[in-house]
Amino acid sequence: MIAVVDLKISNLASVSNALRQVGASEHVPATRANVPGADAVILPGVGAYGDGMASLREQGLIEPIRVAVRGGTPVLGICLGMQLMASCSSEFGDHEGLGLLPGRVERLVADRPGYRVPNIGWCDVSPTRKGVLFPDAAGGCYYHVHSFHLVADDPAMVAATTEFSGRSVAVAIESGNLFGVQFHAEKSQDDGLAILSRFLRHVGARSGANA
Amino acid sequence: MIRPRLIPVLLLKHGVIVRSQLFKVHQVIGNPMSTVERLSDWNVDELVLLDISADDYHDLRRDDIQQRYQGTSAVDVLREVAKVCFMPLTFGGRIRSLGDIAERISAGADKVSINSVALADPAFVEQASRRFGAQCVVVSIDAKRHPDGRYEVYGGDGKIATGRDPAEWACRVAQLGAGEILLNSIDRDGSAQGYDLELINRVTRAADIPVIACGGVGAYEHFAAGIIHGGANAVAAANIFHFYELSYPMAKQATIDLGVPMRPVRLDSLWQRREPDYDLGAEDGRLADRRARAETGNYMAARARVQKSAIRWCTCCVYPSISAAPMEFDPNGVCMGCRMAEVKTAINPADWARRKELLRAILEKYRCRDGSRHDVVIAVSGGKDSWFQTHVIKNEFGLNPLLVTYDGNNWTEPGWRNMVRMREVFGCDHVVVRPSVDVLKKLNRLAFEIMGDMNWHAHVGITTAPVRVAAQNRIPLVIWGEHGYLDLCGQFSMDDFPEMSYRDRLEHFARGYEWNYFVGREGLTSTAMVTWKYPSDQELFDIDLRGIYLGNYVYWEANDHTRLMVEKYGFETSDISFDRTYRRMSNLDDMHENGVHDYLKYIKFGYGRCTDHVCKDIRAGLMSRERGLELVRQMDHVKPGDLKRWLEYTGKTEEWFDRVADTFRDPRVWRMADGAWQKDELWKSGDAK
Repeated sequence: MIAVVDLKISNLASVSNALRQVGASEHVPATRANVPGADAVILPGVGAYGDGMASLREQGLIEPIRVAVRGGTPVLGICLGMQLMASCSSEFGDHEGLGLLPGRVERLVADRPGYRVPNIGWCDVSPTRKGVLFPDAAGGCYYHVHSFHLVADDPAMVAATTEFSGRSVAVAIESGNLFGVQFHAEKSQDDGLAILSRFLRHVGARSGANA
Repeated sequence: MIRPRLIPVLLLKHGVIVRSQLFKVHQVIGNPMSTVERLSDWNVDELVLLDISADDYHDLRRDDIQQRYQGTSAVDVLREVAKVCFMPLTFGGRIRSLGDIAERISAGADKVSINSVALADPAFVEQASRRFGAQCVVVSIDAKRHPDGRYEVYGGDGKIATGRDPAEWACRVAQLGAGEILLNSIDRDGSAQGYDLELINRVTRAADIPVIACGGVGAYEHFAAGIIHGGANAVAAANIFHFYELSYPMAKQATIDLGVPMRPVRLDSLWQRREPDYDLGAEDGRLADRRARAETGNYMAARARVQKSAIRWCTCCVYPSISAAPMEFDPNGVCMGCRMAEVKTAINPADWARRKELLRAILEKYRCRDGSRHDVVIAVSGGKDSWFQTHVIKNEFGLNPLLVTYDGNNWTEPGWRNMVRMREVFGCDHVVVRPSVDVLKKLNRLAFEIMGDMNWHAHVGITTAPVRVAAQNRIPLVIWGEHGYLDLCGQFSMDDFPEMSYRDRLEHFARGYEWNYFVGREGLTSTAMVTWKYPSDQELFDIDLRGIYLGNYVYWEANDHTRLMVEKYGFETSDISFDRTYRRMSNLDDMHENGVHDYLKYIKFGYGRCTDHVCKDIRAGLMSRERGLELVRQMDHVKPGDLKRWLEYTGKTEEWFDRVADTFRDPRVWRMADGAWQKDELWKSGDAK
């Protein structure tokens, strides 16, 4: 069973539709009760950082998610969901994050012609190394909507980057059981669905091995 | 770097997709799901869905087609579409409040497009942006160019002048927090002349948010100009994506070839098959339910209910508003079939000459240069139109065509003789595709019970066999006769030059039932269905396989063709009349097409082939409406004599046939009163005069 967090400010249906399309048999809205027993947790989201954390707090999901991560449960953050996994964010004041990933969330800087914040659109992504989300050197093109980006303390956690205003920006992370993508995998056609499918396959192999 | 986007725009009107001209004339393309699924196959960058309905209720349920959609409002359509949309989805139309936006987002929209409400209350843009984020708010601007070169923003679906300048208005909404502009040229809508680049330039220079250009695309090459010369971040179009096979990938390739760095073309999504995935368990249940209802005489149309819609008839011809065809009426109650017939009649000789030159250019492009193959395939049934097509292609243009015929085993005797004689009369090679009679009998029985149409095999066979033979022989051009729905119900305009497409075949010829639906029924296997399998998108793309309709390029009038073919080549007309139409030269290749197949149309919708033929003859000026009405009254309801053959052929009884047929009666048309089926009749209604 895959627990999908509903931040109430995101379009959960898009993620559910995409999971169904790639063959995820069982995915349910995350609750305090089901997160501890979940095979994986997916943390999607759009909107403001502070609102996202507040929603997690209201639903009493912060501790269960932290505990699940310590227990080795794979977690995939998407867009705001990936940012929430960081230690803190500077979006409209400082906010504490889930603290699963040592790093900060900072505002994108657009100081070259042709770039603007928010960064909205299809951008090419280059993997930095092989892993679960990117099994080979092929990156792909994904749909991004963001004004902020994650700066990981440990560059080894970065799985893929995109170029923005002449700088390399982390758009995917992978470290142990933590996974995150800045782009909307559920809205990135075949390339995005492939990312979700690889994550699910990884989860399936892992829970199969545990069973 | 952000890649420029290519965006199909779908216009929704009362639940169906329409083609639009000058914001005024709307023609029905078909149901949204088949189009959206096709676009998802092709990995499109983004999709815009604009609802232009006058009111929010529609009822598209039909028992004789395969459709999963059962909703009654535009938001229902959105919810269904979102299930197969793995790309950003913008929804617009009739948004009045923040609550409307929230409803559309929760139904699956990623962004909403607002227009009139922003013009009426600019502060609304700011409120929407604050609540849902700038990325969610697209402001749509409809602009018109005045004769003096001035541009003006129009509201109310392009009807109300606002006095605003588009560039200034774009700046204003950007400041208020809009994330994007959808810029539409009213003058160019449906014109096929290309984008209004000056308009796009003015707006892109003024606003610092992305601009999506829309309105006027008539050729794939127009897209690149919108980006390179107009400075747009994304280019959009509606109509053109409905006209041609593989329109999106072809358009994208053309744009990339002109130097625009879009995401690469991709056919055949890994996650979505072109052939529909049916829930076969549920479908078995539907069939079992129908059989039970037939057995017990429990008919939908006989149940008491509140009548929500009434039949109207075209005020020029006699076509009904509830029908099997994608039909739309203009505000004066005139059907699009009549409207397009007027357009056709108005085409002058000079324009026909221009069309013939367009045809010549296409034929020249695809003609074989090395003797390795035939020049073109002509899809022929052996009828008057087939003879005319072959006459034009072989004897007027001097090409070497390969004739391809689907043999559905339902020939009339003169029809068979006409078909067999073609290779002699025209001196052409002829391939006749002849599926197993055992398989045909099974398909006849199954399709009758499943969709109330025994001729599924024929409609899909005829639209598949020539394309299969063309792909196998790497012949890139298939010549069809006239576009049936363009002629019958004005589905397209004469300058659209629509071509054959998989979507058209699946939705309109196959009723949403693809070959795989039949596998496992009556022991049918996948290999037994080979005749009905359409070539893959990759095969079509690789040889740029196109299917053009000759009727778009040369003057087409069935009565004239028949006369010409009889005089010139000895084409044989039938000396026996059909039971259900007064015409004697149509559908000689299939006795059931004018007979029991058509009788089922009457059972379902209350009209038949006589109505179709009367409408065509009224539009051609060959018949008065009074005479037409008389014929319709005489013939539309007649139970035809070929039913006997069909029952013997399939081993069924007439009572069984009647009972199953009655399950298909459309409740919008039929009611049961005093133990008999009743419906509204044109000759009793106010529309008769």
